[in-house]
Amino acid sequence: MKRIDAVIRPSQLDEVKQRVTALGVTGLTVSEVRGFGRQKGHTETYRGSEYTVDFLPKIFVSIAVAEDLVEPVVDAIVEGARTGVIGDGKIFVSTLDDVIRIRTGERGPGAI
Amino acid sequence: MQNLFPRRAMKWISKSIVALVFAQLLCGSMSLAFADQSQPDPAGTATGDKFSVADAAGNPFVVPEPTDKSAPDYTKSKKEFDEFQAQAAREPLALKLADGVGHTRIATNFSWTLLTGYLVLFMQAGFALLTCGLVRKKNAAHLMMLNFAAYVFAFLAYYAVGYAFQFGAVAVNAAPANLGGVPTMNHFLVGSGQWGFLGGKGFFLTGPAYDAGSNCLTLFEVVFMETAGYIIVGAICERITFWAFLLCELFIGAFLYPISGCWVWGGGWLSQLGSSMHLGHGYVDFAGSSVVHSVGGFCAMALALILGPRLGKYGADGKPRAFPASNIVFVVTGTFLLLFGWMGFNPGSTLGATDLRISVVAVNTNLAAVAGSAAAMLLWYRLFGKPDITMACNGMLAGLVAITAPCAFVSPTASVIIGVIAGIVVCLGVLFNERILKIDDPCGAISVHGYCGWLGAVSLGIFADGTYGAGWNGVGSAAYLGKTGQGVTGLLHGDSSQFLVQLGGATLLAIYAFGATYIIFSAVNAWRSMRVTREVELVGLDVPQFGMLAYPEDAVEMLTAGSQAQQQGV
Repeated sequence: MKRIDAVIRPSQLDEVKQRVTALGVTGLTVSEVRGFGRQKGHTETYRGSEYTVDFLPKIFVSIAVAEDLVEPVVDAIVEGARTGVIGDGKIFVSTLDDVIRIRTGERGPGAI
Repeated sequence: MQNLFPRRAMKWISKSIVALVFAQLLCGSMSLAFADQSQPDPAGTATGDKFSVADAAGNPFVVPEPTDKSAPDYTKSKKEFDEFQAQAAREPLALKLADGVGHTRIATNFSWTLLTGYLVLFMQAGFALLTCGLVRKKNAAHLMMLNFAAYVFAFLAYYAVGYAFQFGAVAVNAAPANLGGVPTMNHFLVGSGQWGFLGGKGFFLTGPAYDAGSNCLTLFEVVFMETAGYIIVGAICERITFWAFLLCELFIGAFLYPISGCWVWGGGWLSQLGSSMHLGHGYVDFAGSSVVHSVGGFCAMALALILGPRLGKYGADGKPRAFPASNIVFVVTGTFLLLFGWMGFNPGSTLGATDLRISVVAVNTNLAAVAGSAAAMLLWYRLFGKPDITMACNGMLAGLVAITAPCAFVSPTASVIIGVIAGIVVCLGVLFNERILKIDDPCGAISVHGYCGWLGAVSLGIFADGTYGAGWNGVGSAAYLGKTGQGVTGLLHGDSSQFLVQLGGATLLAIYAFGATYIIFSAVNAWRSMRVTREVELVGLDVPQFGMLAYPEDAVEMLTAGSQAQQQGV
């Protein structure tokens, strides 16, 4: 089992969701986050005073998948999230020790 | 502590009641001391009769008996009076009918004045939205409470003494005939005749102030005072303690606004400079660019100076930092509510719908608003590459504030020019306060109301075209500048003395508002700091001052505190 976390542009969420669910992924958790990577922030002016927007709004997508789905899901996220302009985001893949379904107490890949 | 509090509160309440009763008795005896033949009319049944009837030009139906036998036109006036008397004796039915017409005329003016007053009242909602939208979310409840408490406490202060200070002598020099007159409000507490400084009748709206015509004026004027009271919120928010704010509101409602209001609208000395010193029509301010707005704005400036800038507003390098607005939707909605309310503020200041200049006033007011907003938008676009929405809104308010004094006396084109100048002044004023004076003004109140208020009163002295206001402040009823029916005239139309009195008067009112506020509240601040502690300011004033957040869903700690209480079965 792997856990795939992706930081993507808010505008690309729908695209990513459609591609990933088409692969048979049954669950997906998203949160609104802020941060910066190489893109960094930018400067704006409010009533004549400059301020920097350091942390840009992004969407954090988290998906737990069985081994065989890792590569197709990663590809789907890349396809859905890429615009080619700096600030498209990143994908992190990590090993998942266990998964538990709270309602039934099921464990392992069946609980995903 | 729990037992102590109610006892202390009870003591305080009983003291207040004793003081109030004592003040009432004092005022009651004062009203008796100055009693005269004409009686107030609380029921309104005697307000408006044949003496209130006038034609479109304002000439009365009933010809008055001339008293001054040495007047040059005495013979002519006496002849007119005799003819009227003879005609009245032949047609008693016409006189009876005139009583009905007079009552209806006053009723029409009552409806207009009260309804426009209600529009002005609704400006308070606009101010609340505007200022709340311009500050950070952590202070939203604080802003709403300031706006709310301002209305409540300033109103009570104005009822107690403010109205009497402002209009206690209005009948001496400036009885508003459109409302049936307030003939018994005729005593100056300080000064007399054309040099009145403070009205002295009608405390707690008793005696002569318990009158239908007078109360119509009270309603309209109290919402004006509230406007001055609200202005300060924009400059002192996000750092002032609640008790200090209440003191500020009581000060404005009881003293600051009523005193300047007496000088200009209550028949006081500034309005009489035309008769006493031959300066134009005296100091003229139609709806309060200076009396309401610049007084509020410069009061706000003094308070903001005493409080100092918000924490973190200026970095170690002395450069101002931006605290962006939390809700632009509120800011724009609030500004539009203010524009709507201003349709009461300016046209309503005729105190009568029988004065048909109201349509010109309404058009002028709107034109200045859009011109001010356009100028601010375009200037900001040019200066910073993007038109700041909050500055576009400030620009609209700047145009409105500036046109408030001259709106009845200028042409539509002059209104556009005044609006454009105000739109530029408000932008430069915001930058000047923020970068050079380093006075922290979160909502731009000083620039919008202070600077543009002063500008408005002065622009009257430049652009007034003489088409309206013949006989204003008792000057030039027969003829002015050699012309019959010539009204208030500015520099560009040949009356430089009007410009001088406007420049001097507006500057004096600004100094008065700033100076009085600065002296009194510096002392208050030395006695006890008017500012919240550093910790309170950092966390936001909502919870420390009022025990709640405007948006509790946003706060994780509030949610966890709630669930803990649930678990413990509280």
